[in-house]
Amino acid sequence: MNKSYLELQGIRKKFGDSTVLNDVYLSIREGELVTLLGPSGCGKSTLLRCIAGLTELDGGRIVLGQQDLTNLAPRNREVGMVFQSYALFPNLTVSENIEYGLKMRGAGKKERANRSEELLALIDLEDKRDVYPQNLSGGQQQRVALARALAVQPKVLLLDEPLSALDAKIRKNLRTEIREIQKRLQMTTVFVTHDQEEALTVSDRICIMNKGNIVQDGTPEQLYSTPRTEFVARFMGSYNVLTRAEANRLFGDGIGTAESFALRPESVGLLGEGMNVGGDVPSADKRIVEGTVDSVNILGNVIRYFVDASGVRLTIDRLNDGRSPTAQANGKVRLALDPSQLLRLEKEGA
Amino acid sequence: MNMKPKVGWTHRSLLFLLMLYLLLPLVATGLYALATNWQTTILPESWTLNWFKDMFQDLRFLEALWTSFYLCLISVALSLVIMLPAVFVITVYLPKLESFMKGLVVLPYAVPGVVAAVGLIRTYSSGPIDIAGTAYILIGAYFVVVLPYMYQGIRNSLLTVSAVELLNAAEMLGAKRARAFVTIILPNIWPGVIISTLLSFSVLFGEFVVTNMLVGGHIHTIQVYLYQRVSESGHLASAIAISYFIFIMILSTILMRLGRKMNGGTQG
Repeated sequence: MNKSYLELQGIRKKFGDSTVLNDVYLSIREGELVTLLGPSGCGKSTLLRCIAGLTELDGGRIVLGQQDLTNLAPRNREVGMVFQSYALFPNLTVSENIEYGLKMRGAGKKERANRSEELLALIDLEDKRDVYPQNLSGGQQQRVALARALAVQPKVLLLDEPLSALDAKIRKNLRTEIREIQKRLQMTTVFVTHDQEEALTVSDRICIMNKGNIVQDGTPEQLYSTPRTEFVARFMGSYNVLTRAEANRLFGDGIGTAESFALRPESVGLLGEGMNVGGDVPSADKRIVEGTVDSVNILGNVIRYFVDASGVRLTIDRLNDGRSPTAQANGKVRLALDPSQLLRLEKEGA
Repeated sequence: MNMKPKVGWTHRSLLFLLMLYLLLPLVATGLYALATNWQTTILPESWTLNWFKDMFQDLRFLEALWTSFYLCLISVALSLVIMLPAVFVITVYLPKLESFMKGLVVLPYAVPGVVAAVGLIRTYSSGPIDIAGTAYILIGAYFVVVLPYMYQGIRNSLLTVSAVELLNAAEMLGAKRARAFVTIILPNIWPGVIISTLLSFSVLFGEFVVTNMLVGGHIHTIQVYLYQRVSESGHLASAIAISYFIFIMILSTILMRLGRKMNGGTQG
């Protein structure tokens, strides 16, 4: 299981003068779900299309199992893909869509019907087998697209922002469903998204991409708790990114040699009038800093404070548990800062 | 809960005036085609179907109708056979050529018929391709006339169904390009293609300027025939015009039905 299964070796791609993929190396184990996460234009979708064979490489190699895919046509790669727009065939019914790949491979009628029933059961749409795609909801269409890609039993499944066209609630349900199906089938999967929350929930491993490079990869925990660069810290959530001068003002000297720092919004304790929010504060190893609340946003289960402390604007998240009073805008608060939570960031591209 | 919006009398009378303006010539033509004598009275003195009878008994009319029909049919079929694969290849594989094609297809609009006809006659009346005055030059010219309709129609159909994505999806599922085109792309763009074809057909059927200048003396299409009969008898010409109008109306109805069917198909 530890052997790499899909291997990308130095993938390069240019569109005109702009470099879209700049020497990308990535190896994926069998049965692993790897997410390519990054802002739009970072090259993640292009990388996916390169694996699919829909975009030609300028350089590098793609190996799947023992086979070199680099110069194979898409139809010979045994790679399945789910498109952002689903790309279901409007002239075919749900079951005909699912059977299309098998038909192209010359499978018999009976085999196709059996397989199609199997997959309809998997995606829980047995009663829609004779419906045309345009009469399905977005979520249902996406499930059919998934079943269609899985029908031919590909070695790798590629998902190109499969949930971005759906509304929030369906998106959350469907991503859990996709993850369950992927685990059940032990399907090696590459998932492209620009949504960090989505990436954190579905992935075994996340690769953060920026400007055609993978800037950091690791498990969701690793990436969330120890971003290596400012870009990753900003992208992974609402990290407070501090310059050296700002960090000095809050934490004093002795913070190391890094040029920029990151501080998780939930690691800062908040002390105010009648408030003692933030767990085990105050204790000896924490620094107490005065601050003024700029604004308070209720995000549901989380309250997000924007606090001005010594001229540094910090984002602070508190669980909205109803037990502690909420600090008011313009109110005075004290912040309990834990130096061990201050992350040193590397320079971009280092 | 009155679902009908209230229409005031001003709106009604405006609409009435507009319809009157648009339909009066047609009604007058229709009446004239059915009148025996209509000189000094408000309405014709008496009625007759003789003009229509004359028309249908005139072999030249039927010949002209047939000539128009098969020339338009050949031209449109030729255009379909050439443009369908061409537009498909350009839209899907050579999108860089699109801006060039867009420029090219407005040319038939930009160049006046008379200019085009004179140019064509000069080019093709001598030299290696000497086809002036034959059906070949007419079919060639017709091909150019319907180029914008065919190009836009096919291209829009391809874009509406996101042909590139569908093709990619089909290829990923193991289909060869030609097979993907036949099994997925063609069935989805077919209604749109049929509509452009019918539209092109009716445009050609009504074409007069280019036809008359290019082959007017040799080949009598329905429009050329009509033009020649106008001076002979107003009644007969009216009958021809009305018949032609009815023919085009039937064609348009088919077109609209198909259009609705296609929309119904994609909306569910």
